[in-house]
Order: sequence, then structure tokens, then C-alpha cells
Amino acid sequence: MERDEFVRFVIPVVIVLIAILAVVILGNLVSSNPDGFEWALFEFAHVSEPTGGFEGIWAFLGEGPLVEVVAGALGVIIALMLGLLLFRAMARKER
Amino acid sequence: MHVPDGVVPLYLQLILFVVSIAFIVTAVRRVNGRLDERTVPYIGVLAAVIFAAQFVNFPVPPSSGHLIGSTMVAVMLGPWAGMLVIALVLFIQALYGDGGMLTYGLNFFNMGAFSCLFGWLLALSLFKALKKRMDEKRAVLVATSLASYVTTVVAAFILGIELQTVPGFGVAGLLVITGIHAVIAVGEAVLTFVIMLYFVKARPQIISFLSGSEVAELAPAVDAPWARPAE
Repeated sequence: MERDEFVRFVIPVVIVLIAILAVVILGNLVSSNPDGFEWALFEFAHVSEPTGGFEGIWAFLGEGPLVEVVAGALGVIIALMLGLLLFRAMARKER
Repeated sequence: MHVPDGVVPLYLQLILFVVSIAFIVTAVRRVNGRLDERTVPYIGVLAAVIFAAQFVNFPVPPSSGHLIGSTMVAVMLGPWAGMLVIALVLFIQALYGDGGMLTYGLNFFNMGAFSCLFGWLLALSLFKALKKRMDEKRAVLVATSLASYVTTVVAAFILGIELQTVPGFGVAGLLVITGIHAVIAVGEAVLTFVIMLYFVKARPQIISFLSGSEVAELAPAVDAPWARPAE
């Protein structure tokens, strides 16, 4: 991929992804209900939910929509960068 | 569908951790050296898209759902490269506290290894049948969306089977988790359709099923004639 293509395709997609995340989270469009697995296990089957587990690397920032947006944006960038690193290491160098 | 630590017994977590490592090693061997360097940034973008779509839940009262993306990424990059993308996203999700570290193997087995292989095979079968009736871009959109629906429901059923090791879950729990995912999977199919539509229009060369794909070499990794979608 040419550098132009990176600027023309990758960066705009990442910016749009982060913008969509921000709109969805700040616009309160995200469901706070448990997901299907959690609902079936903890609400329907009344299995006790484990407590005291690892709450994530951003737990120290606290909670709230802005924290969610920042964490989501960082996650998008981390996923992109790790994807680039991992797959570049496995790619053949010549066409 | 991200299972946290402390729910399923340790022995099941360890067994599926070992199984998942075997799948990841196989996937690396299948992908290594078969990938054109020019396509790498597109794969990074796919990882970012799937992370974002797993990060936010859409409402499905009384619960909620999020994209898994395994079928979609397997159709685009082939099942083995798709598996590695999902492995990467699930690792970041685990760092974010969504899905446990010890249960990483179980989560990868359900949403990565199984879902990529099953979803890819199902989508490939549907694609071959649909391609006779419509153009290949429409066929890949419809086949991937339908396959993502079925794969999500079957993956939930498998999770329900694994949860039989949890006292109190039982057959009723199995039926409920499968049933609720039959509704959640509609969201998976719709999101898959929308995201695939974008890539079909903007970058069709990274969809392994389509003619002229730049990643077709990754897709027939099963090395069987029937597994070559572009033929």
C-alpha cells in the first residue's frame, strides 16, 4: 500500500470510527442492559456474578461517557497498530 | 458473549486455552508468508472496525448485543487470518476487562476458532449457490449476512453447552441463551451487511471471495478444490 492510500483510506476510516463511537456513546444510544450471555446466566439462571475481578486497564479513570469515548478511541487506535505490527511481521516483503 | 473469569471451571478454561493456542499456531503457519504487504493496513483497519463494533452494545430488551464479526472477517481474509484478527481484538477486549484473561481461550474458541471456520464454510457454501442467481458482490453480501446470523446462534449454543459446567444453568439456560441470540444475531447480520457493503464498494480487493481479490491466497488455506471460492 502506498503512503497516499494510507492517508486516503486508513486515517479517514479511523477518524470516522472514533466519531461514530463518540456520537453513539455521548448520544446515549448504547444499551446498558447485560449482553445475551450475561442476561441468560446472571438474570435468568440466577448464577452469582463473580466480583473482584480485573476491571480493565482504564478502570483507574473511573466511569462516565467521556471516559468511554476516550477508552474506545484508544482501543480503535491500539487495534489498528497491533494489527499493522502483527500482520506486517507475517507478510512477504516482495510482490 | 465475552465470558469473564470466575464463571466456568478452571479445567475447562485450561483445556480451551490449549486448544486455542493450537488454533492460533496453525493460523500463524497458514498465514505467514502468504500475505501481500500492501494489504496489511486494510487488515489493521478491519481489526479497528471489529473492536469498535464490539465496544458498544445495541439494545435487545431485556438484554443487549454487539457484533462478533468472525464470519465477516473470515469471508474477507479467509478463516485463518480472520482468526488472528479476532484473537487480537479479543486480547484488547480482555485488557479492557470485557472477557477474562483466564477465559481468553474459551472466548477465542467460541468467537474466533469455531466461528471463523464455521462461518467461513457456511458463507462459502451459500456464496457458491447464490452466485448462480446474482452477481458476486450481491452474493457475498447476502451469503455473509446469512452465515453471520446462523454462526452467532450456533456459537451461543456452544457457549450454552460449555455453561452446563456451571451449576444452576442447565438445559433451560441453554435454550434461553440460544433463543436470545437468535434475536441478537439479527443485529449481527445487519451490521455485517452494512460493514461488508462499505468494503464491497470501497475496497473489494480485500474480500477473498471476490474475483481479483488481493487476499485470495489466504482463503483456500484448507487446500481443497471445493474451498476455492474464486473458481
